[in-house]
Amino acid sequence: MIAAVREFANRFLGRGDATITVPSFDGALRPNQKLESAETLLICESPEDLATDGRNLFIADGQRLIRLDGGTASEVRSFERPISALCALPGGGLAVALGGREVHLYASPSAEQPSVTFADAAFSAVNALAPADDNTVIATDGSATCGVDDWARDLMELNRTGRVFKLDPASKKITVLAQGLGHAFGACAHGNGVLVSESWRHRLVLVTPGSAPRTVLAHLPVYPSRLSKASGGGYWLTAFTARTQLIEFVLREPAYRRRMMAEIDPAYWVAPRLRSGLSFKEPMQGAHIKTMGVIKPWAPPRSYGIVIRLNAEGQPLYSLHSRVDGVNHGVVAAIEMGGDLVLIAKGPGRVLRLPLAGLAEEFSS
Amino acid sequence: MRDTLTSLRYRYWPDHLLGEILSKRWTETAIPVILLLIIGLALSRSIDNFLSPASLADTARQAGEIGFIALGLALVVIVGGIDLSVGSIFALTDFCALYCLDVLGWPVPAVVAVTLLCGALLGAVNGVLIGYLRLRAFITTLITLIIYRSAYDLLIQRYSNAIASAFPDIPSWDFIGAGSVFGVPTVALVYIVIAIFGHIFLTRLRPGWHITAIGGSRRSAYNSGIPVRRTIALCYVASGVLTSIGALFFASRLGTVGGDIGVGLEVIVLTATVLGGITLGGGKGSVAKSAVGVLIVLLITNGLTTMNARGGVNRMALAGILLVAAMVDIRWQKNRTRIISKVYVAPTYHSLPPPPSTEIGQGGPFEQNDKLRNVESIGLGRIEAPEDVILDRHDNLYAGSRHGDIIRFLAPDYQKMEVFAHIGGQPLGMAFDRADNLYVCIGGMGLYRITPDGTVEKATDETNRSMRSVNDDSRLRLADDLDITDDGLIFFSEATVRYEMDEWPVDGLEARGNGRIISYDTKTGATRTELRGLKFPNGICVASDGQSILFAETFGCSIKRYWFAGPKKGAVEVVMDNLPGYPDNINLASDGNYWLALVGMRSPSLDLAWKMPGFRRRMAKRVPVDEWLFPNINTGCVVKFNEQGKIVESFWDLRGENHPMITSMREHRGYLYLGGILNNRIGRYKLDNADPNFVQYDNRWGKQS
Repeated sequence: MIAAVREFANRFLGRGDATITVPSFDGALRPNQKLESAETLLICESPEDLATDGRNLFIADGQRLIRLDGGTASEVRSFERPISALCALPGGGLAVALGGREVHLYASPSAEQPSVTFADAAFSAVNALAPADDNTVIATDGSATCGVDDWARDLMELNRTGRVFKLDPASKKITVLAQGLGHAFGACAHGNGVLVSESWRHRLVLVTPGSAPRTVLAHLPVYPSRLSKASGGGYWLTAFTARTQLIEFVLREPAYRRRMMAEIDPAYWVAPRLRSGLSFKEPMQGAHIKTMGVIKPWAPPRSYGIVIRLNAEGQPLYSLHSRVDGVNHGVVAAIEMGGDLVLIAKGPGRVLRLPLAGLAEEFSS
Repeated sequence: MRDTLTSLRYRYWPDHLLGEILSKRWTETAIPVILLLIIGLALSRSIDNFLSPASLADTARQAGEIGFIALGLALVVIVGGIDLSVGSIFALTDFCALYCLDVLGWPVPAVVAVTLLCGALLGAVNGVLIGYLRLRAFITTLITLIIYRSAYDLLIQRYSNAIASAFPDIPSWDFIGAGSVFGVPTVALVYIVIAIFGHIFLTRLRPGWHITAIGGSRRSAYNSGIPVRRTIALCYVASGVLTSIGALFFASRLGTVGGDIGVGLEVIVLTATVLGGITLGGGKGSVAKSAVGVLIVLLITNGLTTMNARGGVNRMALAGILLVAAMVDIRWQKNRTRIISKVYVAPTYHSLPPPPSTEIGQGGPFEQNDKLRNVESIGLGRIEAPEDVILDRHDNLYAGSRHGDIIRFLAPDYQKMEVFAHIGGQPLGMAFDRADNLYVCIGGMGLYRITPDGTVEKATDETNRSMRSVNDDSRLRLADDLDITDDGLIFFSEATVRYEMDEWPVDGLEARGNGRIISYDTKTGATRTELRGLKFPNGICVASDGQSILFAETFGCSIKRYWFAGPKKGAVEVVMDNLPGYPDNINLASDGNYWLALVGMRSPSLDLAWKMPGFRRRMAKRVPVDEWLFPNINTGCVVKFNEQGKIVESFWDLRGENHPMITSMREHRGYLYLGGILNNRIGRYKLDNADPNFVQYDNRWGKQS
């Protein structure tokens, strides 16, 4: 009763859960335009995920699996459904999620047939894969009701149905490690548990078997996505887009959201996007007005590019950005290969490369 | 169904009035008046004869006496102080009057003069201590309260018998206390006269302004050269004199010097003052507030007495009211602007049908193209915010800038740029009259005229005030675009009467018809409102028939026609509606059609939000302006339409890189010149198949020899 009254008062006064505050990009998240200076390795239609066996770079581009060797790209194989996640397995193998609904394990990237196939009915939006220490594969599933590409609807419906699975190739058993997550998107083994990005709750949680998820990094101003290990300890955390107060506000307006989802083309929703500025039908916010021919980089981002370097404890060290006036938005995957950081900017459909040398010195505060 | 209910709710319930009423200064007086009416009504229902003439006259006598004291206290409180000694001064001057009359046997005029002098002296003690010696008002008047009271006690010990035994029978003295003119007690008449003078004094005379200024900020008043100390001291003197006037009437009415005279009077008067709405912090108050406060307090105390409440209850009630009133006053003063800003923005229901298609491949008159890709830039980076552009008969190009200048680019290459005139406000729409005077709408200032030699003259900055508007809408807030008829009548639009120019997004958020169209007669100088209730009226163009104007409603996404002459005079007709964008300026084309700039394009998310006023109201409260859902004004286009309202052609710049925003366009000798209020350039586009000799104002007013 008291809780209900308090919730009503909060909604009425815009306090408590009804506040729409978004943390600012500050400290380790201080903005820069480093991603704009990254070298474009490849432009493709719909790059989704990256994997490397140390020598070759594998890129999931729609239904095609591409190998980038030096400067040349070659198609390794193609699938019937778009690849929704990719990871390299120890021993030269490769794991591939297709359309979010099944996971294939291959002994080698070019192997004819999958060594193991997982196709559980529970799979709906498998969006990231990661190898675990005990020869198993960790898979995150964003939503039980919305497909991989329908994540904006998942956000707008306030769904909290993300799950983390453990796939055991030996026994072909699927274990649920965690459920009820706000869009699980990206995982990385961490000690005896798994670090998982919980996009809609803007945080990183540590999932350990047999206990509730523990928050590692919370109150992010962005929606975190895939993770990868960084050399020298720590992780690269991507975030596919940033939060805005307008979207936080819309998330607290059920009537508007309902009508928006029913009446408006999803491309023009008031929802985060991987790219923006393509049409005047997209929602425009006050600070987006071009003044004297200039778009302000600090305007509220409809799309944004950011990758965050975390230390071994999962705390941010520094970050690389592409701000609102930039192009390389929608960073969904980042891995280290050699002395470089390779990223996918899904917005413009680019695979990018940034030399790692000097990054830490330039941006660590 | 739901939309119908919402639309009815917002059509008939005037949400916007609450904020407008609250931001009026008279609301602070209105609330005590309403309280007074409520109490008066309640008491007249529960007590018989409460409103009988005898009862009213009795109340008026008491009200007059206390009213004088309250006036004095009001002065002191407005100047930033407080006077607790009024009760004791009242008692002492009462004694003074009766002593002079009964014991010394002086004539009445002398008694009156000496009593007033006595009051002035007693007040002067406070005044000197507080004004000149800078003692704290509260402690000083508390001490004089005690001293005066002790003096009074000593005096009545000696003289009360002498006074009580005297029965002076002087008609003029009795007239003061019990007389009446046409049934109105003398005291009430004198009070009314003094109150009217007090009102004029406080609101119209220099010393009154000084008092308010000192109460508002003593230091600023001192720095402005106001004699702070003397003014404060004189306020206490005035308080003493006014108290002694009250005492005179009291003395002549009752003729007693009892021990309890004036005891607790300061609480009654203070309650009246605070209840009337005179802020204890100083700087705010009026005579009307003081009078209303006195009446409320008297009604309450008399009502309680009639209902046989004991004295203690009476005083307790008063003290309680004082506490509540002071609390309300403090909270209100602190939060007033915040409350007003929260309730002022009042979005309303605004429904538009789905817009016509603009996508490439979908066909239709608005299909996007890349015709404007080759726009050249004039003055790139040198001019800022040219909302409108205009060319004179000699091909020179004029545009406004946000620095408040009219800039002139000289023909033929438009490289040389000069300040043609400096006005000071943002120039918006422009038009030349027959004599080559340039008329300009200036946001926030009004309609201005610039003669060919560059002299700036004000044409008009106010129109008739509408009777049904709460806000004073006589001043022009956002004159936007204009055109001139053959008879020298200027029609110009005022985009909104509720907001300033930089607050245009708030008007867009409200989506109410806040704008109007005004005419200015260049012959007589008369200004008149022609149409009101328009949704951000913007571009204006006199139609080819010479009897009507075409005007654009930006947030109404429509073009309408208004007949100012001819058989259809006064009628308004829709020319085009449900445009896919927000129309801005309209101008004549060389082929007899009209050019129209669409400053921005509609987006489905805002169209939906316009149907949901509650959503927008909450957005206005919770989300900062920079993050609001805005009308998209980053992309626009130019279209040409004919007399029947059919689109003939449209011109787009798909990427918007050359010319991001278009608010106006002007055809001249085969070129189209483009202005944009947030641009740093003027665009120039070569038109195909356009008359290479078309000069708008040669065409319009005839060639000059």
